[in-house]
Amino acid sequence: MKFKNVAATGAVFLTAALALSACSSSSTGTASTTASTGTASAAATSAPLDASLTGTITAGGSSAQANAETAWITAYNAQVKGVTVNYDKSQGSGGGVTNWLAGSYDFAGSDAPLKADQQTSAQAICGTGGGLNLPVYLDGVAIIYKLDGVTNLNLSTDTLAKIFSLAITTWNDPAIAADNPGVTLPSTAITTVARSDGSGTTQNFTNFLSAAAPSIWTNPASNAWPITGNVSSQKGGSGVVQAVGAGSGTIGYADHSAIGDATAATINKVEFSQDAATAAFAAAATTVPTGTGDLSQKFDYSKLTGTDVYPIPLVSYQIVCSQFKDPAQAKLAKSFIGFVASSVGQKVAAKNAGSAPIPDEMLTKVLASLETVK
Amino acid sequence: MSDKISVQSAPPSSTDTLGSTTGTASGGGPQNAADASRGGTRVRPGDFIFRFLSTGSAVLIMIILAGVALFLIISAIPAITADWSTNDQLNTGPTAAFPNFWSYVGPLIWGTLWSAAIALLFGAPVGIGIALFISHYAPRRLASVLGYLVDLLAAVPSIVFGLWGIIVIRPFLIPLSDWLGANLGWIPIFGGPVTTTGSTILAGALVLAVMILPIITSISREIFLQTPRLHEEAALALGATRWEMIRMSVFPYAKSGIVSATLLGLGRALGETMAIALIISPAILVSVKLITEGQNSQTIAANIALNFPIATTLQRDALIGTGLMLFVISLAVNSIARVIVNAKPRKSKKSKPAGPSTPGPLSRIPAGDFASATAIDVVAGSSRSGKPGDEGPTPEEDIEGARY
Repeated sequence: MKFKNVAATGAVFLTAALALSACSSSSTGTASTTASTGTASAAATSAPLDASLTGTITAGGSSAQANAETAWITAYNAQVKGVTVNYDKSQGSGGGVTNWLAGSYDFAGSDAPLKADQQTSAQAICGTGGGLNLPVYLDGVAIIYKLDGVTNLNLSTDTLAKIFSLAITTWNDPAIAADNPGVTLPSTAITTVARSDGSGTTQNFTNFLSAAAPSIWTNPASNAWPITGNVSSQKGGSGVVQAVGAGSGTIGYADHSAIGDATAATINKVEFSQDAATAAFAAAATTVPTGTGDLSQKFDYSKLTGTDVYPIPLVSYQIVCSQFKDPAQAKLAKSFIGFVASSVGQKVAAKNAGSAPIPDEMLTKVLASLETVK
Repeated sequence: MSDKISVQSAPPSSTDTLGSTTGTASGGGPQNAADASRGGTRVRPGDFIFRFLSTGSAVLIMIILAGVALFLIISAIPAITADWSTNDQLNTGPTAAFPNFWSYVGPLIWGTLWSAAIALLFGAPVGIGIALFISHYAPRRLASVLGYLVDLLAAVPSIVFGLWGIIVIRPFLIPLSDWLGANLGWIPIFGGPVTTTGSTILAGALVLAVMILPIITSISREIFLQTPRLHEEAALALGATRWEMIRMSVFPYAKSGIVSATLLGLGRALGETMAIALIISPAILVSVKLITEGQNSQTIAANIALNFPIATTLQRDALIGTGLMLFVISLAVNSIARVIVNAKPRKSKKSKPAGPSTPGPLSRIPAGDFASATAIDVVAGSSRSGKPGDEGPTPEEDIEGARY
């Protein structure tokens, strides 16, 4: 309203707009400075950033990474003001990789590493070295539920697979009761809630189910939910969280950083925490390279049985060319991803986006791979 | 095209020559001859430019439409011809369960038509009712406010309707779904496991019905307002009640207009994407069930929105192929609308685009002034034979019907 009044003359309008933009830039600047100074005491594993860089980095893909990307970009711009980073989360992982393969992105955010055929087509834009999958984002898949009268729920891997494959249909099933001694379970019907859109979260979760409970979950890992029947399918992680909260006897899965106030079940008695996710990565992730310097990760879920490791970690990648066509863009991308893969960058994301830090050992490898990018 | 441009680029000189050499067309060279052959009238540059622009716009829209159709067909062909069971790009993810394109698109077409049909079932009677209230029942001030509010509804973005559907309509319908499932579950459309989250096609179609209200209401309202005032007053004078008057003079006059309004609403419902994608828990299958969680037929538009981001190249082609089917369906719906409108007496086709500002001669008569109305009616009646398509004979017959 006030704005309308001052907009009476063009000059006043312009001044107001300038004042507003100045305001907003200074406030974000302050926010990011506090974020970075708060974590600056932690040892940075990367070289100090070159503040003289200028240019634009265009990227996009995984929406799981989106909050972390925002935090990274804000913190990065606090130190390197001349570089604009545009991350388009509307593309999703698949769209990100497609656009990157078409040469329109400097890097792609993706919940899945490049497949063999994508690696082949990547050689067209990246030379014979192909693309590099750099794991930079770690989170967990949370199992959220709403069941009146039950505030603590524990599910074993097998029970989880039975519930989501619709082999168990009521909450007072003996299998659930066996996981929760002493808890009175109602006879409410179970409604599983899944993603209706294709999703890296679904990919990670079905990958976990097919690897950890292969005798019960017979479907292969897929980015589309394979079970049909009495399944509620919702758009986006927020749609799943909303539907679980609105229903009764509902259970669903979502990125842990996106569940908000929803109640999460413990898996094999392990509650999600950033430490537990980091520990899970350290314990079970092995590098399965698709090329020199590539860091595609594969989880050995059989190793995730301890009480301090979260059984369903979710890792997301930034994918870059091993050789950029434009050396100047290579320099920009290396600078930004170098910041993302520093322990400072990981802490910024952990604090602002709720993700778990990647273990330092892996960060060192990421930075080493990044060094080889030309 | 090129000679048009050349003419356009040299307008001052041609006008000058025209002005000075009128009557001596043969002496001024080829361009002069050409100008003079246009009947000797002065052709101003504005005429050329305007004609070029408007012709260009008309051609452009056809090129765009043809381009879209061509794009859809060319992009869709690889997916339609591919063997879905053996192709690596198509036997994973969302298309894994389907042996070929047609088994994938079939349920989607059904879902699109089914959800739109339910929406129409709720939306069309209410929309027509609102229009009738605005045009014939409401006090004038209320009518204009109401009309404004309904038009405002059209400006609400569909994602807002989607969020409204998730947060308000879905929980609101759960008790109704429970009741229907418990008491009428033996009817197939209310069968199946009843929803617990409310994410049903019923909720989606209800929101869709609200979204198509403005288009049905505003078109029907304009048509109702065009009913010849004389016919209405004649009906009233002959002792008809308000409802009988509407039934005998307004509805017959507006019948084809109502049909085309409804079909335009259907077109809107067929293409709606975001609200459906947000509200309904979809499955790609043919189902008539209204209140289940996992057996709501997915629509084409929502399916594209949900799966495009993660699609492989061929899956994108397949999605574009489903878009092509939607294009064909919309075309069919519009053609049917046109056939229905044209099959009726020409009156509504003629009078509809004219809008309320230029109604037929009869409705210019001030209300209540019966003497002048009669006079004008006589004049209009005598001239009617010379003006086919002005006012059809049907309403008149109805008034005669009211007399007896």
